[in-house]
Amino acid sequence: MKENILIIGGGIAGLEAAAQLLKLGYNPIIVEKSDHLGGHVAEWNRLFPDMTPAEDVVSRLIAGAGEANIFLNTGISFVNRLKDSYNIMLSNGISVITRILLFATGFTLFDAAKKEEYGYGVYNQVMTNMDLERWFNTGNDERIPEEGPKTMGFVHCVGSRDEKARNPQCSKVCCITAVKQAIEMKQKFPDAMIYCFYMDLRMFGKKYEDFYISAQRDYGIRFIRGRVSEVSENIEGRLVVKAEDTLSGKPVKVTMDLLVLMAGIVCNPDTCRTAGLVSLPVDSDGFLKSRDNIADITESPKEGIFYAGTCTGPKTVPETLAEARSAALAIHNYIQGLK
Amino acid sequence: MIGMIFILSYCLIGLVRIILQLPKEDRKRFFMSLVNPKTMAKNIRDIFCDCLFHVKLWKRNKLLGYMHSSIAFGWFMLIVIGHIEVLLYTPHRAKLFYFPIFFRYFVAETESTMRGAFFFFLMDFFLLMVLSGIFLAMFKRLQSRLFGMRRTTNPSFLDLVGLYSLWAIFPLRLLAEGFTADISGGSFLTKSLNYVLNSFLSDHTNMLPAWWAYSCALGVFFIVLPFTRYMHIPTEILLIPLRNAGIKIRNARKGFAKAEVYSCPSCGLCIDACPMGVMKTHIKDTTVYLNRQIRRNNERRIEEISDKCLLCGKCSAICPVGVEGDKLRIAQRSLRKYSVNPDYADISSDALSVHAEGKVLYYAGCMTALTPVIRKSMESILKKAGIAYELMDRDGGICCGRPMMMAGRFDQAREMIERNTRIIKDSGATTLLLTCPICYRIFKEKYHLDGIEIIHHTEYIDRLVRSGSLKISRDDRKYVYHDPCELGRGCGIYEQPREVLSCAGELVEAAKNRKESICCGGSLGSLTLGFDKRKAMTENALANLTVAAPDVIVTACPLCRSTFNRYADLPVEDIAETIDKKCV
Repeated sequence: MKENILIIGGGIAGLEAAAQLLKLGYNPIIVEKSDHLGGHVAEWNRLFPDMTPAEDVVSRLIAGAGEANIFLNTGISFVNRLKDSYNIMLSNGISVITRILLFATGFTLFDAAKKEEYGYGVYNQVMTNMDLERWFNTGNDERIPEEGPKTMGFVHCVGSRDEKARNPQCSKVCCITAVKQAIEMKQKFPDAMIYCFYMDLRMFGKKYEDFYISAQRDYGIRFIRGRVSEVSENIEGRLVVKAEDTLSGKPVKVTMDLLVLMAGIVCNPDTCRTAGLVSLPVDSDGFLKSRDNIADITESPKEGIFYAGTCTGPKTVPETLAEARSAALAIHNYIQGLK
Repeated sequence: MIGMIFILSYCLIGLVRIILQLPKEDRKRFFMSLVNPKTMAKNIRDIFCDCLFHVKLWKRNKLLGYMHSSIAFGWFMLIVIGHIEVLLYTPHRAKLFYFPIFFRYFVAETESTMRGAFFFFLMDFFLLMVLSGIFLAMFKRLQSRLFGMRRTTNPSFLDLVGLYSLWAIFPLRLLAEGFTADISGGSFLTKSLNYVLNSFLSDHTNMLPAWWAYSCALGVFFIVLPFTRYMHIPTEILLIPLRNAGIKIRNARKGFAKAEVYSCPSCGLCIDACPMGVMKTHIKDTTVYLNRQIRRNNERRIEEISDKCLLCGKCSAICPVGVEGDKLRIAQRSLRKYSVNPDYADISSDALSVHAEGKVLYYAGCMTALTPVIRKSMESILKKAGIAYELMDRDGGICCGRPMMMAGRFDQAREMIERNTRIIKDSGATTLLLTCPICYRIFKEKYHLDGIEIIHHTEYIDRLVRSGSLKISRDDRKYVYHDPCELGRGCGIYEQPREVLSCAGELVEAAKNRKESICCGGSLGSLTLGFDKRKAMTENALANLTVAAPDVIVTACPLCRSTFNRYADLPVEDIAETIDKKCV
């Protein structure tokens, strides 16, 4: 009989790990709390740096994991530790006995309403990166005028690198996401004036720097180094964004029709709850703690429990997929070692 | 004897110094208040209530109150009755002030009239009262929790000397009087002890070492007194009339500030009160330690303690002798020399002028600008109530000056106050509306806007609801109200927001509320406290707010709102948001 492996989370990490585990001859079971597979990526439109449609990536991953047992709209009720395995009770009443648990629980987007000064949920023209991607997908959002915004801005690091917002970590992907979204907006509305307010631009990945240079050179996107201090509304109902341009040392004030907040990656509170069921430790950055942050990133300090993807910290899509494969291999080696 | 002369001359010199250190006008005010019969009556009443009966402590914890008032009042009565006895029996010796203290040693019982027995009974009764207080004090060292105190002060060496000599005085007095009770007379306590002692120590010469020990303990106590926390006993008697005369801290170390510092009894009630106390590392940053360091002139620690404080004012609110920890700290900050002193001379108020003749002028302030939802809700409420208003800082404005005031930079604050005053007076408005308690406090305390009403939005909404301009629909949600430091302890506004909220739904209370409300941890007051430290305070304050399982946390300060919002699992709203959602 094939060995059961319980994968918590049906995002890209869970799907890719399931596909690899199937190939290695195991029986992966995916438990997904929402009603769809693919997690956040499934709600995205196109992915940097080659503008690959996110839909393609997700459907390929779903096809790869097709033979796995998948439970949608399902959570974990409780976990019993048996002698050398876990008895896991799912919220749909099914119980699973497994020696291996894989956390692929992902992240949540920082709640932009917690940065009150940016007025998310207060002003009609303020949205998040997620809202914008959804609009790319559906074309349906009242906040974006039909004829497009005359002037718009992106605020980097909303809820990232911000001690006041309880998250001092860099979310890694928002810099490049902002550049990507700015280019996409410029492609849709060539006459729009687009600003990016940033602290640092962390263009570490493959072709990111080219992307950034192209945004400036080919698309004329204005990059202003400095955090936005406050957002208000003028009498006409347009947004007034105040920031400091730290390169020229002067305060700037721009009137805009649309402001996009690059909400950062924070640990999923459900992850922490589930991790608590098997008493997994949380690292000082708020994400799950690996056995070793260099050599054993996919392994937890507990026997038989593994990690893949953003439950251990912010990651890009290719990094997450690579980690999912690596976790599958680590699981395989672990099971071989048990025999 | 030496002890007594020393302490009396020390107190006299100290008194004269403090009074001389007061600015001239304050000194005049003080002396005028002393001859004013109304303040005089208040002084006497306060001295009796606070110094002898410790009414405030009784209200806090009965055991703690009994402990203090039994020692203070009991001792006071012993002295008074002792003097009466001397006056009655040996009037010719009354000039010697040591005589009543050792009365029993000098005088042999000559008559057993009713009057004598009565006084002997009183003396013994009060001695017993003091002894019970001393016993409680010893017990408190071991079990302070029973007295309503989780933590107490760590006494310094001299404090310990004072403490032990104080503890020793009365048991020794009992012993000494016990030895001489058959000669000099006594009552139920001393007489019976005398029988016990006589049964195995029949020699009367034994009384000598006991009397010596008693007088030594007394002498030691009085000699160390000026250098210990017990200095609060004489100083508080000076502090009370000074405070009643309306005198405020003008100098960081002299005059009234000095009187406050020396009035600190080092009781440590402020340790439990301090919001920073959630972390043990901050215990030594509380007001009691600030006072100790000021007495020692330890500049490094004074600076550290003064800068770290959140200025929530809770220590001042609960202090039994009325030491103002927050104001003392601001005064210390004002001593600081900065290399850069911003000059706001080039900021012109003309560009910011508004016209609001006869209208309400709404000054949102910096903090509300950072929480735009409050401004939006407040404007919506004003529109719904049909109030003609004008926004003072829609497109930028000048800070109210309170942050600079808190940092002890009074000149900079004054410049802002001048400019804002001009804008407001020129606008022609009749009412100044504020949604931020930080602004509200400085407008109330430092601005002179003669004729223009200064009002916080909690008061204003309350008024609108009462007058019927605003109709609120009720729901069955539970609201808990957090008292912002600057609004509650700072300006004394507790009732209006509660009145308003009880119209919106069910009002529940936090474990500690009103005067004892816990700072959210976001305060502008602290100059040095990092976010990692503030986090624990915010979580503690939230735990305090949610004991009654509310559905919504409501506050009336933009800073409290944004601080809580980042840590709370419940929705956090400003009172303006709550009311705006519920009125038509």
